[in-house]
Amino acid sequence: MSHLPTTITFASEVKAIPGGEHLELCYSCGTCVSKCLIQQKVDPAYNPRRLLRMVMMDLKTDAYLDPTTWLCSECDLCYEACPQEIHISQVITAVKHLAVEAGFTSPLIAVSVDEDLCSGCGICAMVCPYEAPSLFEKEVNGEVDRLSQVDQNKCMGCGTCVGACPLSAIGREGVTNTEIEAQIPTPESKPPTLITFICDWSLRAEDDLKILESYPPDQVNIVHIPCTGRIDPQHALMALDSGVRGVLVCGCKPGECHYKRGNYAATCKMGLLDSLLGQMNLPEKQIQFVQIGTQDRGRIRHEVDGMLSALFDIKEAV
Amino acid sequence: MVDAARQPRIDVRTYTEVDKVEGFVGNFKVTLREKAKHVLADRCNGCGDCAKVCPIEVPNYFEINLAPRKAAYVPMSQSVPLIYNIDLDACIHCYKCVEACGPLEAIDFSQEDQLVRENIGAIVVATGFGHFDPSVMAEYGYGRFPNVITSMEMERLNNSAGPTSGNLIRPSDRKNPLKLAFINCVGSRDKRYIPSCSNFCCMYSIKNAVLLKQMNPAMDITIYYMDIRTPSKGYEEFYDRAREMGIHFIHGRPSLITEDETTHNLFIHSEDISLGRVIENEYDMIMLNQAAIPQPDQNHMSSVLNVAQSPGGWYMEYHPKLRPMDSPTDGIFFAGACQGPKDIPSSVAQGSAAAARASRILHSTRWEIEPTIAVVWPERCSAETRGRACGLCVKACPYGAVVIEGDKAAEIITAKCHGCGGCVAECPEDAITQLHYTDAQILAQMRALLADKPEEKILAFRCHWCSYGGADLAGTSHFEYTANERGIKVMCSARMDSDFIYEAYRLGAGGVLYSGCHPQDCHYITGQLIGAKRADRLKKIFDRMGMTDGRFRVEWISAAEGDKYARVLNEMQTVLDNMPPEALKEEIEKLQPDMEKRLKRFPGVPGVPEAMAYGDTLVRAIKEQKEPA
Repeated sequence: MSHLPTTITFASEVKAIPGGEHLELCYSCGTCVSKCLIQQKVDPAYNPRRLLRMVMMDLKTDAYLDPTTWLCSECDLCYEACPQEIHISQVITAVKHLAVEAGFTSPLIAVSVDEDLCSGCGICAMVCPYEAPSLFEKEVNGEVDRLSQVDQNKCMGCGTCVGACPLSAIGREGVTNTEIEAQIPTPESKPPTLITFICDWSLRAEDDLKILESYPPDQVNIVHIPCTGRIDPQHALMALDSGVRGVLVCGCKPGECHYKRGNYAATCKMGLLDSLLGQMNLPEKQIQFVQIGTQDRGRIRHEVDGMLSALFDIKEAV
Repeated sequence: MVDAARQPRIDVRTYTEVDKVEGFVGNFKVTLREKAKHVLADRCNGCGDCAKVCPIEVPNYFEINLAPRKAAYVPMSQSVPLIYNIDLDACIHCYKCVEACGPLEAIDFSQEDQLVRENIGAIVVATGFGHFDPSVMAEYGYGRFPNVITSMEMERLNNSAGPTSGNLIRPSDRKNPLKLAFINCVGSRDKRYIPSCSNFCCMYSIKNAVLLKQMNPAMDITIYYMDIRTPSKGYEEFYDRAREMGIHFIHGRPSLITEDETTHNLFIHSEDISLGRVIENEYDMIMLNQAAIPQPDQNHMSSVLNVAQSPGGWYMEYHPKLRPMDSPTDGIFFAGACQGPKDIPSSVAQGSAAAARASRILHSTRWEIEPTIAVVWPERCSAETRGRACGLCVKACPYGAVVIEGDKAAEIITAKCHGCGGCVAECPEDAITQLHYTDAQILAQMRALLADKPEEKILAFRCHWCSYGGADLAGTSHFEYTANERGIKVMCSARMDSDFIYEAYRLGAGGVLYSGCHPQDCHYITGQLIGAKRADRLKKIFDRMGMTDGRFRVEWISAAEGDKYARVLNEMQTVLDNMPPEALKEEIEKLQPDMEKRLKRFPGVPGVPEAMAYGDTLVRAIKEQKEPA
């Protein structure tokens, strides 16, 4: 065995991948860590600053096993905030790329396709912000069929594809249509005044969630979704059908979506739903979409109160 | 300040701007604009009766707009000289002040700005620094959240002469805050705004924390920092004291401030790097230690004073280590933060040094400079030969010593010339020469050095300040390098005329080294840049001509790099050794006509033909000595 020093360091490998170049400028200020919500909401071990350090210190296996490598969803809020202008998500993506090459796999549970239902329309591939689903050809009963398949290492679990699939052929445990529909009250179960669909990332402070939970259950019900991109307009209409008087969908501010552009998909869907309400002669204010920014602490209370009083006005008018 | 104003030989001019600076060291002609105060200085006794009756209130700039002032005002109560000023932008011309002034009749609304021309021997610039506006950093909410304030606002709120008489209150409800946070490096050390460190913020945030803690030990104070920088004497001890007093230090740069809309309390989101955990803490009030930036009018003043600016916009010193208080223009000196952010002890030290340097000029009748100055032959300048001066010399001069007025020939202000020789080498008409480094003198050296077997020689052009020192060090350190090296010293790489290089190859030199200081280290500020640009051009020309790679080398060698000097020359020798002698000879002969073509105008330079003739006799003599007839 020769003990010649290796000239190719882990850092140089990462730097060779576009986006990884400025990694060594990091002076560990911690801005990225606190700008990101993953450590607070998902995994206390998540820490981009430490991952960058691991790369610089040549700790390859540690970096491949670190949750940071796999949990970053490339929302780029840290890139805007980084005083050294390091494109952190690109560095992490570069590490992830090397990790996948080395045979490591993502610990996240990806969406899966029900091949019996899939029609191969390709909508999931179009809406996915991470290019996880792709179409492939398969011989079924002697005929060549087009089907969707999901790259497990690319899927971040936002559920945008689940909300978009016309045949409910794609899904992940926790966000399937049946599971969400189960949370929507039925006419028999005394529906509340307002049902809120809350994106898991939009309420930054824990206090905000507490505000929401402080409303009595006969007034406000909460349905958690991973991203407003997951929203299916059908669910909003189902809720109205069951006797709920209003639906509030709460997502992130434009540019702050945790899954790159899930809130953009939601904006489109909710806009369409708005015009649909008009065609059905239903009051527009019954369904509302609000986008809450990172600094809008306490805004959720105003939104819910405003919605409740608007619904009261509608009731009076009727 | 009062002492200075009372000293009979100090003339304090306030509310006065510098409009124009002409002339040179010892003989500056400065035009001052004495702005109209609308109050006669010799009559005002500073009683303040005008301000008492004035009905107009505007924000007081001196109090960072935290308090009002009248339209008839003094900037601060300790102003020297204590003369009131009528702010005509705010004044409604009610003339109550005129009435209040009474028999003194000090108020004169007809007063206008006056231009005064003064003869000045030396100038000390002490214009200080400006403040970064943190409202552009949306994440900290300055300007949106009332209880987020800047360090300058804190200085006023905490000052016994300030708007609250030193009673620290928070803007939203005027209650005394009990839980405070300071955030360091707001805008500084941030590539998006100010990439450099502001030098003194760590210390003043610790100072403010200690002061507040002394006033009220129950106060809970936290400092958020990226690095605490306490590099001077006693600073680390002060930091220790602050920690012992119970001030909290959190290592982590906050990424976000949010506000509770009812209490107006603030929440800081940051990582505690020591814990590796994201934390969110609630505070009554937050102070942002914003970056120090150059004064807003620093660019304008830099052109008025004709002094360059460093990256970042601060005034540039003559030399960062050896002459930090001198400007590149003789007779202009810097004191304090106008040259770069610095704290009070350093500013005082630099101010005293600048005053001493200035008094050296004021107390002497003669001003000695290096004798290697540049001189123009006006009849050769293109202004004379073609009717229009080309101006290349003006561009080459780092000191603004070359002046072209109208269609007259270029002129050099001797007192301003530092003798780098940049203009001499740049002049396409060979109309400028440098005393002691004339073309003829250098040519004579080249002829002598290349008299015998030139194809074996490597001619090394070295600058006086760096690469000559490097060569010297190589010698005194006994680094072995090729014996075929022949050195020629000039003051700066800017003086290394392309004609010399062509001439060296025409004479058959095997190799030529073009060496000088590293960029930024140049003794003549930008001399190296002029030299480097020319060297790049030459390298391209020789590559196009088909010269073997390595026969012309451009290297920047500092006085500490003796080893590099030896290595570069040995590498050049290897290049020559690897060429068969016939091939080298053939290449030299092939390139000779091209070199001659490029040297067409060289023999026209005064002194050059004589130097050439002398060289010819020298070569002949050497040959005769070798092969006696």
